[in-house]
Amino acid sequence: MEVRRWIDGDESAGDMLTRFSIERPFLLLLPPLHRVPLRVGNVLELVGPSSSAKTLILIQAAISCILPKDWNGVHYGGLGRLVVFIDLDCRFDILCFSTMLKRRIGQANGLLGKTNIYDEELYALCMRRFLYVRCYDSFRFLASLKTLHYQLKQVEESQQSSVYLLMIDSIGAFHWVERASSFSQSSTHRKSLSLQSVSETVVQEMKRLLLMHPMLVIATKTVSLGDRYANEVQRLLSHIEYSYELQMMIPLLDINKLALFIYLNGYCLH
Amino acid sequence: MAPLKSLEQDHPHIDSSFQSFCASLGILSVEDFLLNDHYEFAAIAERQPNSERIKQGIREIFSIIDGQRQPLLNGMELLDDALRNKLVLSTGCDGIDLLLEGGLREGQLTELVGPSSSGKTQVCLQAASNVAKKQMGHRVIYIDTSNSFSPQRIACFVDLAEGRRLQNVMNNIFCRSVFDIFTMFRVLHQLESNMRSQRGPQMVRLIIVDSISSLITPILGGSGSHGHALMVSAGYLLKKLAHEHNLAVLVTNHTVGGEGGVPKPALGETWKSIPHVRLLLSRDRENNGNNVSIVKHSSVASGTTANFVISGR
Repeated sequence: MEVRRWIDGDESAGDMLTRFSIERPFLLLLPPLHRVPLRVGNVLELVGPSSSAKTLILIQAAISCILPKDWNGVHYGGLGRLVVFIDLDCRFDILCFSTMLKRRIGQANGLLGKTNIYDEELYALCMRRFLYVRCYDSFRFLASLKTLHYQLKQVEESQQSSVYLLMIDSIGAFHWVERASSFSQSSTHRKSLSLQSVSETVVQEMKRLLLMHPMLVIATKTVSLGDRYANEVQRLLSHIEYSYELQMMIPLLDINKLALFIYLNGYCLH
Repeated sequence: MAPLKSLEQDHPHIDSSFQSFCASLGILSVEDFLLNDHYEFAAIAERQPNSERIKQGIREIFSIIDGQRQPLLNGMELLDDALRNKLVLSTGCDGIDLLLEGGLREGQLTELVGPSSSGKTQVCLQAASNVAKKQMGHRVIYIDTSNSFSPQRIACFVDLAEGRRLQNVMNNIFCRSVFDIFTMFRVLHQLESNMRSQRGPQMVRLIIVDSISSLITPILGGSGSHGHALMVSAGYLLKKLAHEHNLAVLVTNHTVGGEGGVPKPALGETWKSIPHVRLLLSRDRENNGNNVSIVKHSSVASGTTANFVISGR
């Protein structure tokens, strides 16, 4: 009987698929992220030079996530879930975010470009689903990561919803400071404050956080690409593997050139 | 953040036995604690004879860490802070104000890039006089790195008919001559602790660093990364001051000859991720005026240009 029950299995493939689509919903994001099938548990990195619209893509993805699927008979196509935005660049502009959210709500209602007519209640609901923390140095970043689990538990309880997206803008912000602080310590078993030990701890904390709060992670990284684009991407790919539990990376060119490559597990979707 | 030894007085659970336990694992400060895996640490603590006391110590360190980090805010709280505390300061240059939708935003770092004689210092002086003039009792800190601060020019921007007013404007502008980056750090840290201790009517609205590039370029270059680290730290310190004390920061960046003689900003790629707004200034010799164009802005498209004239010429 025992064996029989074991062979029968727990659920059918159909049941599993339905369960999965509820537990780990697929979110259709705006371009350019519509081309990659992103799910909870994935880690995506957006790589590009300054002003290649990295933060803009993050904001659009965040808005898609905080908007509800349907509201008062209007279809918004979102998930109605929470977003955590960790701002290491300290340049996030909430007014810009708010304008874009109003525009998206207006678009779904067929009011193109009108930001003054919008559903006040829905707007406030969405804004409260957006959670933001800024970090001025890598220790504050680590402190935020280490305490995020407890904070999220509180927020999730009060908001009756869970986090779907974790965003980090941008992951290499303290690169130079960490590199310069690598000095040898007299004590042998004391961990030195270096680029490597900080990024190792960040990766470890993020892995742990993802186990407790399954979410999709999108991080941005600023690089100067210049004309040596192809070489740079190769160098980046080899460079990133050690520091990151990375599955996907999207390098962006300057926004004016509008070229885009998507690297997915080593393959290039052009 | 502090060494564990210095926390002993205020936190009874971080006593000498807790410290020696931490030291045996290579943890001497709160930073070390952050760099280590605290789950592993707790598991080792579990096996100690005095595990209860150690766990209380860990909890105490966690509460210290919790107090250090920035709070997790939701969008409504952020928006409320932005609308209530982050005002827009007019620079007094109509073209620039128009381009920036009103002027310099508090909480943001605005950068002026341009070659020599493109009007960078003039814009700084005009902004200083305009902020000191309009917001009575509000201070401007002017960090002058190249002896270019000119009280005579400030006086030109103020209506001379009102003698009292000129004195008020001058009283509100504090100029500090700074010739190396370490002095700037000292001045800014001093300012930060002053602002934290005495909040009141004498609030600083604007910090100007003219020019920040002449402090930073001498320490860049070479094989070490310390120059870059200092540059990034200076940027973050200014952004932190701007955000936490609701003031605007205006810095200037000179240009140098790049590849093929094309001028480029002295502080290049790494600095690019520091300012919120970057404006490119240039001299328009035909119309005897100046041009300004947006290189980076969160809501205005880059490439938008305007003309402005420095008044009182």
